[in-house]
Amino acid sequence: MISDILLTIITMVFALMVVFSKKTVVSALALLMTLLSIAMIYFQLGTLFLAAIQVLVNAGAVAILFVFVMMLINLEQFENNREKGKVKLVISVLAVLVIMGIFALIINNNIEVLTANNIPDNSMKLLFDKLFSVYYLPFEMATVLLLAALVACIVITGHEKAHKVELEESHE
Amino acid sequence: MSSIYYYLSAFLFCLGLLGTIFKKDLISILLCLELMMGGVSLLMILMSRATGVLESQLIVFFMIIISACEVAIGLSLIIALYRKKQTIYTDDIKIITE
Repeated sequence: MISDILLTIITMVFALMVVFSKKTVVSALALLMTLLSIAMIYFQLGTLFLAAIQVLVNAGAVAILFVFVMMLINLEQFENNREKGKVKLVISVLAVLVIMGIFALIINNNIEVLTANNIPDNSMKLLFDKLFSVYYLPFEMATVLLLAALVACIVITGHEKAHKVELEESHE
Repeated sequence: MSSIYYYLSAFLFCLGLLGTIFKKDLISILLCLELMMGGVSLLMILMSRATGVLESQLIVFFMIIISACEVAIGLSLIIALYRKKQTIYTDDIKIITE
């Protein structure tokens, strides 16, 4: 009960930071913390597999990708990226709260719950049974989609040399 | 007492929509889209819990994959645009209206 309200408040605060912070880097890091809080909510609700996937893919890859692209683009606001002391304090306190929340959840739950044999309702086994029997084709389509996205990213961003050659030819 | 999460998912979606409409640079718009995606997938998980239907968890699984693709392609489009126009602000990009 208390942990539900605490998690909700933390998620809301970070979500508000995503939208209302002036600097894009701060909003990207706030998005990371929001996704981590959502992963904690998944964990609280008993969907362990999706919590892990959320941490690995959304928080681990996507949010870092945002920061990486900001580095590449080199926005003007990066010149003065030293935060004021108060903002830094608030961010660090909230980050510490989230990490403490993770530990509190792990300690509050019995450790037995976390072992693979005692997953509530055996839901992960059922999930994978469905995923690899009934929904096998969509799963394969998802892998093809990922491959297509990979190729698309390379094509969109990496054809500068070819473009230059075309330009030179047109000048000639 | 997980009903508070329903309000949270609605809040996340509305906040993301607000940011998508009012933000001026493309990276922030993508960030807000991710926020909306988080709200929707949270609602899906809650629905799966309330009804006991496992398919909605699978939908969340596929949504995570699709959102990763969306972010990757969106960011690469932003980089391509930045190379061409040297800006990522939506006010500076008026290709259609010009």
